[in-house]
Amino acid sequence: MTDPMISATSEEEDDLLAAEYVLGVLSLPDRAMAEARLRADAAFVTRVNAWEAHLEGLNDEFADAPAPDLMPAIEARLFPQAAPQNAAQHAAPSGGWFTRIFGLGLATLTAAAVTAFLLLSPPAPSFKATLTADASPLRYEATVVGDTITLALLGGAAAEPGYVHELWLIVGNDAPISLGLLTAPTVSLPAIAASAGAVLAISLEPAGGSTTGAPTGPVLVTGTLAAT
Amino acid sequence: MLDDPIANLLSDIAAQDRAAFRALYTASSAKLMGVLLRILGQRSEAEDALQEVFTRVWLRAGRFDATKGRGMTWLIAIARNLAIDRLRSRHDTTSDDETLAALVDHAPGVESRLVAAGEARRITDCFATLEPDRAAAVRGAYLDGHSYTDLAAKHDVPLNTMRTWLRRSLLKLKECMEA
Repeated sequence: MTDPMISATSEEEDDLLAAEYVLGVLSLPDRAMAEARLRADAAFVTRVNAWEAHLEGLNDEFADAPAPDLMPAIEARLFPQAAPQNAAQHAAPSGGWFTRIFGLGLATLTAAAVTAFLLLSPPAPSFKATLTADASPLRYEATVVGDTITLALLGGAAAEPGYVHELWLIVGNDAPISLGLLTAPTVSLPAIAASAGAVLAISLEPAGGSTTGAPTGPVLVTGTLAAT
Repeated sequence: MLDDPIANLLSDIAAQDRAAFRALYTASSAKLMGVLLRILGQRSEAEDALQEVFTRVWLRAGRFDATKGRGMTWLIAIARNLAIDRLRSRHDTTSDDETLAALVDHAPGVESRLVAAGEARRITDCFATLEPDRAAAVRGAYLDGHSYTDLAAKHDVPLNTMRTWLRRSLLKLKECMEA
């Protein structure tokens, strides 16, 4: 048998990567990159599905464990207006005020962000981007005015306690540059090297942000800056 | 669709059916809690993760495709992926350069054969074709969330050796499963 490390074709290499991803042996940055492939490459999705089917026989070995009824908390997360009492009860301590604002509805939040934006930055923005991902409610609007970039959370939730959303700027093939941490629904940061066509990405990092200078957690949303 | 009640619930959930969502919780939360608890090890963290799993299930149910696999397999994949991400962010996050290179250099558009769900039952037979310690490494990764780094330490071999072992074992497993 040939050595898969040396002579693997790119097709085999893709298949082994899918297997390693499904098996779960990759490091967090490598997992994040595999997940980025999953969003963009249908053939890779097919490979991952095939490996999930290959290995699903092992699922029988996970023993059942009784779970408490967490539905009220889950529904409060997903449907904040339908279950206001639950939302208040189950909100994380540091997210309580945000949950309450969110409970007022997205329109109010958007209006507040727009008002804040109008008050803070009278001149017209020079670049804009909307950061989104397929099938994710998370949505940030990025606006660059002069040397300041302002991020407003327009959909989805802030990071859970113990985690933070970190903003990255990627120009061409350069390594991502951290622009800072998004610790509030609206945050203004110095816009280093922002230009039309540059990509903004937000990753999930441990509280305090990445300590390696590069994203370590999954990339949650991305967007491309365009001139306005 | 036949004989897969979880898949039927998922298609109702994709149509925003909250009663189906509750029924799914009743039908699958014990299994998913078992997955999360085994990988994460702590009940409080597993319960927190279970909430996140069901949040993702509600948001992603429209992407489930019953022609590509069983409903429970899809749910367990979501739970395992979340648990492994959490486990990895607890530990070191050193990247393996070779894996990164493999990720960057890929050929697009290659179809791979999808194996019918029923064939997966043969995995136990196929494990028997591997050397016992290598079979144990594959199972430890899948069931307990061991990373390459963990496995190398556990089996006392260099990381690249472990990676070569595991990749060979995976190819062998695949060959056996598809035979």
